[in-house]
Amino acid sequence: MLRTEINELLTQTGPGTPMGDLFRRYWQPVLLAEELSANDGPPVRVKVLSERLIAFRDSEGRYGLMDEFCAHRGVSLWFGRNEEGGLRCPYHGWKYDYTGQAIEVPSEPETSNFCANVKLKSYPLVRRGDVLWAYLGDPARQPPLPEWEFVTVPEGQAYTSKRLQECNWLQALEGGIDSSHVSFLHSGSLDSDPLFKGSRGNAYNKGDLKPFFEVVDYEGGLLIGARRNAEEGHYYWRVTPWVLPNFTMVPPRGDHPVHGHFWVPIDDENCWAWSFDYHPTRRLTETEVAAMRAGMGVHSANDENYRPLANRDNDYLMDREAQRRGETYSGIKGIALQDSSLQESMGPIVDRTKERLVATDAGIIKARQKLRKAALALAEGVEPVGNRPQDQKVRSVAIVLPADQSFVEGIGEAMIAKPGVPQTTV
Amino acid sequence: MTQSGPISSCARAATAEEAAFRIDYPLAAARNTRVVALDVEAEEIVRRASEMRWAQARFYSAADPGHSLLTMSGRTVPLAGELEDSNTLVLVSTSGENAEAAATIGAACKARGIMTAGLAVTSGRLTGEALFALRPHTRILLVPAEDDDLFELLRATRA
Repeated sequence: MLRTEINELLTQTGPGTPMGDLFRRYWQPVLLAEELSANDGPPVRVKVLSERLIAFRDSEGRYGLMDEFCAHRGVSLWFGRNEEGGLRCPYHGWKYDYTGQAIEVPSEPETSNFCANVKLKSYPLVRRGDVLWAYLGDPARQPPLPEWEFVTVPEGQAYTSKRLQECNWLQALEGGIDSSHVSFLHSGSLDSDPLFKGSRGNAYNKGDLKPFFEVVDYEGGLLIGARRNAEEGHYYWRVTPWVLPNFTMVPPRGDHPVHGHFWVPIDDENCWAWSFDYHPTRRLTETEVAAMRAGMGVHSANDENYRPLANRDNDYLMDREAQRRGETYSGIKGIALQDSSLQESMGPIVDRTKERLVATDAGIIKARQKLRKAALALAEGVEPVGNRPQDQKVRSVAIVLPADQSFVEGIGEAMIAKPGVPQTTV
Repeated sequence: MTQSGPISSCARAATAEEAAFRIDYPLAAARNTRVVALDVEAEEIVRRASEMRWAQARFYSAADPGHSLLTMSGRTVPLAGELEDSNTLVLVSTSGENAEAAATIGAACKARGIMTAGLAVTSGRLTGEALFALRPHTRILLVPAEDDDLFELLRATRA
């Protein structure tokens, strides 16, 4: 249960809100690189943290991200012409470069300096891996570029997708922190999904349906350890890192690629669920990439606007017969849609004054506490965590440890991403 | 994938407009939580929490072997009696002391189907005796917990 004012504090991320200010201290994924794949290609509308922006790639390959609307009459620059080093409004020909600076106003005399005084609000947009990242905060506080392992591995070792999720970012994130739902909602996928099946860890999962949890407070966020019985005197641990404010990783299974998520607010009632898979030491196979493109694992099959084909307008293609046969637990196919269908069903912003949390929700309770404290502390001038390279070089872990060992001690440096070093997995 | 029936209207209840029609009524009783401190420093944390207003939560300290508890007012009460009607128990430890009491209480909760949680309040240390005293007896454990985690947990679970 959360009081209304705390729920609002955590869920509102627009300009000037405490949580919005916190988000604006991090590089956030805003576009797949494929969305701006060519110089002078079509501009793309971007809405992030309740700001409407336009992104484009100019004639020299530079990425621009700026106010969507022309400074002259407020026309959407999505209708603009991307040509010769800038984006030109088709209404009266005003043209802007990748920084938002007006570089041509045709109605003005050729010698006029009017342009110099017209600049659209703009933000840095950079490519790391297959993702374009934006920083919407104070330029003086811009953190180092993202160092997440999935965007730093060599080409061919990672695959990233995004899908529209029609609810507030926080209820999506909380699904990523809440390990206890996996034994129910996703139980059908351990045997059937090509990106999950076949690992030794799956047997531990299925052999112990009531895991114990340890929530460890660490510098970048939380480590959520789910422990199940393994061989005599040993536990099977699945360790999920959450890094502030909106990054989670799923513990690995066998030699399958490792996956995780970002949950990025579009506005207060929608978010992008970013999903990635990567392998630290090898290229993804054609079969794996084909499965990811087909919407398996943590990915989804989407339309051209990255909205899942199974969505609330078609009841997520609910299949009661598959549910009865035990192929899926909820009747919804695919891990991503199993999550989003339920999280969207809560409503656009779930009313947390009405929820009935239990002790095993302690990870969610702790994450909310850390988010609230970080947002309030930032307002007092305390720098947030999670935006430093050392916070981002993190891995999820699956491991068998002696029963009398702390999982944090047991995993040691396995949770630190190191180039060329395989993930720790069972 | 096939769709086995007509599209129902329930999916559209996820819109803001439809969410406004969620029926509004008072929630049923809060959780009936017991909170037990296992050492002197833990007792200070538990005592501070006990001074807040709660629905049904009760607060104690315990020492080995744990068959009885001490209320915040200093009265000795039997463990078994205090677990009647309870559905959640929170153990708080800072040092790992009174591990036998933790085991006694944990076993009593397990026998009664009472959910157990643990807070290892160890000021920045990720491991230690508190962790190992609580681990066998708690379904979920916060490590290292902060002083206000107890308050947050109780409030979030409507204790």
